[in-house]
Amino acid sequence: MNDRKFTFIFCTNDSLLLEESIHYINHLIVPDGYETDLLTVTDAASITEGYNEAMQASDAKYKIYIHQDVFILNKYFLCDLLSIFESDPLIGMIGMVGYEKVAKDGIMWHSNRAGNIYVSRPKSPYPDLSGYRYNAAHEGYDLVAEIDGFLMATCQDLPWDTDRLDGWDFYDAFQSIHFLSEGYKIAVPRQSHPWCMHDDDKMPTLFRYDHYRQIFLQTYPQLLGRSCTEIYDILRRQD
Amino acid sequence: MMNTETRPDAYFRQMKLDYDATQNSYRHILTTMENALASGDYNTLWELIPYIEEGEGQLAFQYIGKTQRLLRILNILRLEDHYRKPLFCQDCSGADALWEKYMLTLFAFRRILFRLSEESQEEAAVWLRNHPVSHFAAYIMVQGELIIPGQAFYETLAQIYSQTWSDTDMQQFLAMTGLPQST
Repeated sequence: MNDRKFTFIFCTNDSLLLEESIHYINHLIVPDGYETDLLTVTDAASITEGYNEAMQASDAKYKIYIHQDVFILNKYFLCDLLSIFESDPLIGMIGMVGYEKVAKDGIMWHSNRAGNIYVSRPKSPYPDLSGYRYNAAHEGYDLVAEIDGFLMATCQDLPWDTDRLDGWDFYDAFQSIHFLSEGYKIAVPRQSHPWCMHDDDKMPTLFRYDHYRQIFLQTYPQLLGRSCTEIYDILRRQD
Repeated sequence: MMNTETRPDAYFRQMKLDYDATQNSYRHILTTMENALASGDYNTLWELIPYIEEGEGQLAFQYIGKTQRLLRILNILRLEDHYRKPLFCQDCSGADALWEKYMLTLFAFRRILFRLSEESQEEAAVWLRNHPVSHFAAYIMVQGELIIPGQAFYETLAQIYSQTWSDTDMQQFLAMTGLPQST
């Protein structure tokens, strides 16, 4: 395992979006003594299969699972990830948008949101991007129950659930619970300027979403409506 | 008997019921665009606007995100056609090429907005000059997409397109964007 390496991992089916996303990655400042690389999986049967394949192929300690339609705007992104991971060794995963509790109906965005994402009409103006610097000590982060899969950065390798998930939905919710069940924390930085833009046509396609939502509801009925702290307690009692 | 169906349950049940009709309407939109662009029969293209806004295409608009952008492209084309401007789709032989031009134009706008590096901005400006769009297209795209335009951004666009847009187009663009107009 290379402790001073970041790997960006994409499951991709659109070279146009992929190239643009990589353009933004190429502009990130790489912390001194660290290196980056990039793995793209183009013919995965499912996102969990693709992510597992890439995870096993990479020796990087830090893996950033990212959608092809995500553009990283914060050029200090890698430095800021490191500062959060290093602030607490129990933080195993970081997202850009997360949710305080597992929603009662399983639909993440029905729970209170943490983090930030670029929108064209924000409630208050974003600070100038060129002068923006995140400060972990001042801005801090929230610990959450789940993060959105458009970007998931990890410093621990936990396998993605290919048994239950053979499609492209709900892998983020399952992986979040997996990290919590292993005792790791999931952090979402408070971002006065959003670190990413997610250009998902303003609307994800959800035709298969409910199938996996039902699996999630059946697998984790005891976690619905619970925060990460409550989830730790429940999972500990189960053990 | 008590109805225990939740709102998400009802939404996904309806989505399942709408699935085939949604796919058919989306296919119809793509096929019509493809054929109209290949033959230059733009009247058929305009017919897609009410189809998406009020007809069966509403399902595609509701469930398939890409349709929202396709509708934006159609509105741009209709406006350009009405005012006899060069069409956004000129040099696009099919729907894929049109989509690619739209996305690359959008990416170039964003590179200018986010100023990742001088090289990145310059590359974007060159691309935009080589693949010009009308002032209508530029304005509608900026307004409808994930972009927060400021005065500096609009000024840069005006500069990039200064050799492409007529004086009248430029004045109209400046008026729409709230930039001071030259006399």
